Amino acid sequence: MVSCRSFEDVKELIVFEDVSYSYAPGRYAIEHINLSIEKGEVVAILGENGAGKTTLIKHINGLLKPQHGSVIVSGMNTKDTTVATLARYVGLVFQNPDHQLFAETVEKELMFALINFNFQKEEIPRRVEWALKEFGLIEYKDRPPFLLSGGERKRLALASVLCYDPQIVILDEPTTGQDYRQKLHLASLIKKLNSEGKTVVVVTHDIEFAADFIPRAVIMSKGRIIADGKSEELLTNRELLMSASLLPPQLVELSWDLALNPPTIHFDEVVSSVKKLLGGKKS
Amino acid sequence: MKAFSFEYKRGTTIIHKLDPRSKFIYTILFTALTVYFVNPLILFLVFLSSVPMVIIAGIGKRWLRSIRGSLFFIAFIFIFNLVGNFWTTGSIADAIIMSISMSLRFIALISIFSAFFLTTSPEDLTQSMVQLKIPYDYALTFNMAMRFVPTLSREAQIIMDAQRSRGLELEKGNIFQRVKNYIPVLIPLIISSFRRAELVADAMESRAFGANKRRTSLYVLTMDRRDLLFISCSLAAFLAILSLKIMLGIQ
Ligand SMILES: Nc1ncnc2c1ncn2[C@@H]1O[C@H](COP(=O)(O)OP(=O)(O)OP(=O)(O)O)[C@@H](O)[C@H]1O
Ligand SMILES: [Mg+2]
Repeated sequence: MVSCRSFEDVKELIVFEDVSYSYAPGRYAIEHINLSIEKGEVVAILGENGAGKTTLIKHINGLLKPQHGSVIVSGMNTKDTTVATLARYVGLVFQNPDHQLFAETVEKELMFALINFNFQKEEIPRRVEWALKEFGLIEYKDRPPFLLSGGERKRLALASVLCYDPQIVILDEPTTGQDYRQKLHLASLIKKLNSEGKTVVVVTHDIEFAADFIPRAVIMSKGRIIADGKSEELLTNRELLMSASLLPPQLVELSWDLALNPPTIHFDEVVSSVKKLLGGKKS
Repeated sequence: MKAFSFEYKRGTTIIHKLDPRSKFIYTILFTALTVYFVNPLILFLVFLSSVPMVIIAGIGKRWLRSIRGSLFFIAFIFIFNLVGNFWTTGSIADAIIMSISMSLRFIALISIFSAFFLTTSPEDLTQSMVQLKIPYDYALTFNMAMRFVPTLSREAQIIMDAQRSRGLELEKGNIFQRVKNYIPVLIPLIISSFRRAELVADAMESRAFGANKRRTSLYVLTMDRRDLLFISCSLAAFLAILSLKIMLGIQ
């Protein structure tokens, strides 16, 4: 059965139904995963090392096919769809940029996916230009990617995927090795992608980043999803964070220390609570 | 890629505990036999010689995996020899026997080398090379090359995944196109290998590798009675098989 529903028709864009996968017999890397992500959502996937986050996202563009259960992306069962077809809609940026940069120049690196996906000749330079600007890489245009710094390589890897404008964007650990300014830039980029109606999934250990910028959190531990909900609820739940070996955001720790009820991940709420506390003492 | 990852896992059996030099003697002797003979029965005997080692060492599963992983090559060797020999001799029977021999020779080699590498730790192997008066630099280079094979094959997999995510289709096009498709995989693989080599070199130098000409060893390998027994058995089996040639004239 081939489904040919167009991209816009589907509200539930990414659906995992009881998905399990194991690399070696006897041990599941992910187990009984049920997850549904709607069009236009921004979701953070959190969890300890080896929790199965990378394994999970590799199912979304069909690099891995579920051994049990099924993954439906935009109405297409990944089992019946090639990676090349899915990749046109699902842009996946890997953890380590050195695993994909290969071209002679930054510019050619950006063209790689555009050529693979048969973009029009006139369209290619326009998109490359956009990516160079958006990611602050213009001055490196003619340099070999290998001579860029670690953070710049990471940005180039991101740019080389975003330049073909995928509807779903999946980022594996995008904040590692980035300075604060780049993190803010990344956050505003995610916001912008989202305002264009794109769906964004971010795998991260950077819990501050998730708390500040991503409204929904999926927490994984030992191959299972142990919680899925609003970031402000999950990231203030002490037992949950402990069981996933996650360090709570600093604001949450502060609100625990101040015995704020309810604890919060929002800076202004903490500030106003603190003001109230101070005010209360005076009177 | 998985086929030839003779990945060592720690073990406590007699075979694991043998001095690598004893196992090496066996490996050399029986490799020589596989090269020397073309008779399928003899080659089968040579192959069988490795089976007790595999059983005693309890590495059956991974040994089977190496053999299964090389089935493709075996099929290739078989067909190639079949066609080639039929072409030159014109006799289908001869061609079949020859193809069976060549395939058996390959299986025997895989089996012998699996038995050696699956039961010998890279550290012991390096140490035994040093004790055989091979310069330490060469011994270490060999050791590291062996150790990085599994790392490299895993990395190749990740790189392929990353490039397929950017729309690379490895199976597309004619044979030349297909070879070209692998360029985006090979370049990152080579570069990251160089990067890793540099990192390892820096890490070793910062721990004073090569600062002293004379190295001392914390562990020194010694041969004991078990080794002598093992070497004697190997030698006896080797001579027995060799004598078949002299006495029966088997090729
Ligand atoms: N190619 C592979 N072969 C065998 N096992 C693998 C492979 N890739 C991952 N695993 C195992 O599967 C489990 C989940 O790995 P995964 O990479 O999905 O974790 P992760 O949550 O992304 O971790 P990290 O935060 O370290 O990136 C781990 O136990 C890992 O060792
Ligand atoms: Mg990961």
